Amino acid sequence: MIYFYDGTECAFLCALALAFCDGDAILTSRDAQLSLGQQSTFVRADPERAERVRKRLLSFDKNCMRDLSALLRCGDACRDAAALGYFKLLAERREPVRDMLAEPAVAAATECIRRVNYEVHRFHGFVRFLESESGALYAPISPDNDICDLLLPHFKARLPQFPFVIHDVKRKKAAVYDGEHTFLAPLERAEVALSADETAWQALWKRYYASVNIPARERLKQMRGYMPVRYWKFMPEKQLASLRQS
Amino acid sequence: MFDKHAFVCYNGGMISEERLRILTESAKYDVSCSSSGSARKNAGGMGNGYVAGCCHSFTPDGRCISLLKILMSNDCAFDCKYCMSRRSSDVPRASASPEEICELVIDFYKRNYIEGLFLSSAVHVSPNHTMEQLLLTVKKLRTEYGFHGYIHLKGIPKADPMLAFEAAKYADRMSYNIELPSERSLKLLAPQKSRESLLAPMRALSERRTAFKEEKRRGYFLPAGQTTQMIVGASPEPDGQILRLSQALYRANGLKRVYFSSYIPVVRDSLLPDRPAAAIREHRLYQADWLLRFYGFSAEEIAAESENLSLDVDPKCAWALKNMHLFPVEVNRAPLEVLLRVPGIGAQSAYKIMQARRYTQLTFADLKRMRVVLKRARHFITAGGKFYGEKREQMVRGLLAAGENSANAVQLSMFSEMEAARSALTGQL
Ligand code: SF4
Repeated sequence: MIYFYDGTECAFLCALALAFCDGDAILTSRDAQLSLGQQSTFVRADPERAERVRKRLLSFDKNCMRDLSALLRCGDACRDAAALGYFKLLAERREPVRDMLAEPAVAAATECIRRVNYEVHRFHGFVRFLESESGALYAPISPDNDICDLLLPHFKARLPQFPFVIHDVKRKKAAVYDGEHTFLAPLERAEVALSADETAWQALWKRYYASVNIPARERLKQMRGYMPVRYWKFMPEKQLASLRQS
Repeated sequence: MFDKHAFVCYNGGMISEERLRILTESAKYDVSCSSSGSARKNAGGMGNGYVAGCCHSFTPDGRCISLLKILMSNDCAFDCKYCMSRRSSDVPRASASPEEICELVIDFYKRNYIEGLFLSSAVHVSPNHTMEQLLLTVKKLRTEYGFHGYIHLKGIPKADPMLAFEAAKYADRMSYNIELPSERSLKLLAPQKSRESLLAPMRALSERRTAFKEEKRRGYFLPAGQTTQMIVGASPEPDGQILRLSQALYRANGLKRVYFSSYIPVVRDSLLPDRPAAAIREHRLYQADWLLRFYGFSAEEIAAESENLSLDVDPKCAWALKNMHLFPVEVNRAPLEVLLRVPGIGAQSAYKIMQARRYTQLTFADLKRMRVVLKRARHFITAGGKFYGEKREQMVRGLLAAGENSANAVQLSMFSEMEAARSALTGQL
């Protein structure tokens, strides 16, 4: 049986309850191609049922919901299968399975979680704020995983006096700090009036980026490995065309 | 001939692109860029420490940008042979005011371009004058601009020690570069510096730091400790000697890191080689340094004093090949220290093995699934009693050397710059 669910934690837990005894269960939150002959069902999110499943799982492993949250943020297509496998194993073994790294299900889930955490770490560095006229900061991002709210604590601790918006333009939502509280909000498009100095600071940053490089030691492959091209879109230093020649 | 002071103009506010270029280009050969080791808290203004360190960008040379690396001045009174800012060199000169540096830091930091500041300087006018300017800048940044991000400050040799002690209250990390691996080379190539003028302030700061910690005083005193750097390949010292020096610096001076910088000829001098040192040598030194710091090796185990590291195989492999009687080891039983000595098994893999084997007898297939890299390791381990490697030493050596390509070879020195704990763990050795 193929179980469709909406990608939320609640629906996942309900799906898990249904799929637990189904050896051939396939779980997916995407419009997967239906293979002929396979039955499918759409799992309804039922909060009460989810709560029961959650309690049960927590009694086996009090930290497992953290894993689930990370898994469901993973943007990779294999994450639904990984999450199902991992939680089925937890329900079977009735004890934490996190360290059973030789189990294929655990290995797959660990890899998804690692990717999410790694991307959060990367974005602590790769976020680029633009300064608006009001002094508030705005950063558009387009990460692989659904992480924009996970970036809030880091930047709030670091820039407590600056309201900021981290805008996931792909998922059309924004993590917001209004100078006091943090929250997540849907955001389709943002229009930002830039501060008077913004362009000049960007130019200085580009100049710095070009100057600190050692051209005799070019290692482009390394650079792209550490900072993949798909992240460049919102980094001023990678919009270099004009500076290259000078 | 350039007009020496063409660019020295303190007009406050934003530094000009041209001066930023000059002051950065003269600073960029300093390799330490790590922003790790400080847990400084935000106390109202802007910024905090990030213990694991954080890379904000990467340049086309594959290096990480973590800190704004800049000189206050490149107008030097000293004449170190290898340096493009030396007195006798004909280059454009520039200086920045403390305010200009502070504003640059604040505005870059606010936009999340950088993790903090790496401030250094040529010896401008005199050692004391230079150190005073550096101190003034970091003090201003902390107290007037309310900046709590990372600051790495270069110490100026031969300046009044009190200036360094004062600066240590504001900086997260300080460094005096040892420059060259022996006193003799230092005399030859950096005539105004002496080994003692570099080591004495390191020792003094280290003592003060210990006292500060023991007395549990308030505030900070170099929370991220001290580092140093030496140029490799400008002078004849072999790797064995360099590693012994590093080890002594770690043990006796409590340094956090010793950086190596492959010699790049930026100026011509009859006393200096014309060609740059091979990047692979620097890479091998970093691998060996890694073994000293994280894998429980001593310099003596890695190389004899007069010996250079093998360029064909990494130092852990080289050690293992000399000690084949200790291998293979059984991954299901070997203690952590032993696993860490297996070529190809890095810290992260070793910990994964330790965890996973509590639940099951590990096989080669399990190790593969756990993403333990077996290319080298398989020659040195058994899994459940099974061996998949090559036993004859000559064969193993050939296989290992062939398995390393030059792209891999630069990886580790990059990691050593990133030093982000997470990334460091993937630096499999
Ligand atoms: S002291 Fe020596 S190494 Fe430092 S800037 Fe001056 S000439 Fe260069």
